[in-house]
Amino acid sequence: MEVVGPRPRRGGLVLASVLIFCILILSAQVPARSRRGSLLQAWILTAAAPAAVTLSNLSRAITRVFDSGAELLTTRSENSRLKGEIAKKDQELFTLRARVTSEELDKQLLAGASVLPQILTAAPVLLVENRAGLQSAVIGAGSQQGVAVGCPIAVPEGLVGRVVTVGRAIARAQLLIDASSAAGARIVRTGEVGVVRGDGRGRLRLQNIPTTSSVQPGDRIETAGIDGIYPRGVVIGRVEKVSRGSLFLEIGLAPTASFSQLIDVLVLAPSPTSEEAASGGKGAQP
Amino acid sequence: MKLTRIGALLAVAVALQFFIGSSPHRSAWPVDFFLLATAVVARGGDFVQAVLVGGAVGMLEDALSHELLGMNAFAKAVLGYLLALLSMRVMFGGPWAVGGALALASLANDLIVAVLAALLLQAPVVLVSRESLWRATATGATGGLLEAARIFPWRQWWEKRQLRRLR
Repeated sequence: MEVVGPRPRRGGLVLASVLIFCILILSAQVPARSRRGSLLQAWILTAAAPAAVTLSNLSRAITRVFDSGAELLTTRSENSRLKGEIAKKDQELFTLRARVTSEELDKQLLAGASVLPQILTAAPVLLVENRAGLQSAVIGAGSQQGVAVGCPIAVPEGLVGRVVTVGRAIARAQLLIDASSAAGARIVRTGEVGVVRGDGRGRLRLQNIPTTSSVQPGDRIETAGIDGIYPRGVVIGRVEKVSRGSLFLEIGLAPTASFSQLIDVLVLAPSPTSEEAASGGKGAQP
Repeated sequence: MKLTRIGALLAVAVALQFFIGSSPHRSAWPVDFFLLATAVVARGGDFVQAVLVGGAVGMLEDALSHELLGMNAFAKAVLGYLLALLSMRVMFGGPWAVGGALALASLANDLIVAVLAALLLQAPVVLVSRESLWRATATGATGGLLEAARIFPWRQWWEKRQLRRLR
């Protein structure tokens, strides 16, 4: 090995700029731990907080002084007007509460009726990426075909994952074997309900099954329909091994869908709960 | 390296990534073509180009595959710089050395993404898996073969072949 003389200084500056840019972009997208917004927003808010709080306190103090002076003059007439308004508002509130209760009952009935999986479209798998436990697929269907965020995807053999980003003609899906994915699941033979998680290495784990369960290798596992994302009754896999943990059983599953050989997938209609969450901006995080 | 060549290289890398990615046998030889493209640019010894191309292909990879834009861009920009440093500072060559460096770079890419995912997404850390080892092997072997093809004396071989035919 021999050392020759290059000029990596400019490259170093560019590298530093690119890395800072990446960190800023990443920060801007990462949800804060308490899910209150992005980290960048959280940082900006934290930095601006002392000045904002001080200014707000000052403003409130000044307003309070002016208000108390004016209130002395108008208190009696204001009081009688407010009493009348409160009586009117109480009547409105009563009517609205009754209406909301009735609408909620209707919605529950509709949700119960649409439990069965409904196929939106079939889509080719364009790319499967697995790096550092993050497993995803790009599928050849997007908003043009009616695909929306939260749509489950499956193959005839079993569940594959759910759509997380939608373009016009393609969409990106998180696979069930991703290290951070999860789904509500049910052991078909015993009816017990738990949570299936990916291990990031191509296998699945069934969690939250008590040690008293009679689950055994070969038992079929399917979606329970309790997570608001996946419909009930789609096959996930079969129990491969069962071992005792301290509180719960440690259950390893073999997925029935062949994740390494995905060619086409079926895009299912999103559950009403995940549709609501997507439109309301509250993403259901399995 | 000229911009048109870099553009063509990136287009080929994207095309190959989708071509292999659409195949049901994608896991048979899972080459990281984005890393190979970064390495080809870094081989030219231009640090700026290597970092920018690494960042750009990483960003594209993120857009296609990850929840967060920037994790692969970060990793590939660092790797572009390191590979350019390696090819300029050290007299370095031969298919085995290039293949080994690319296999290590592929593992380093996975490591950086795993650490970033654990820090930013609180995802479980998966540092080494069968897939990542196989991808490192495939990327290293493909890079080594490309390097072997690059340094092979094709002209002399062709001339010798023609001579043998004439005799």
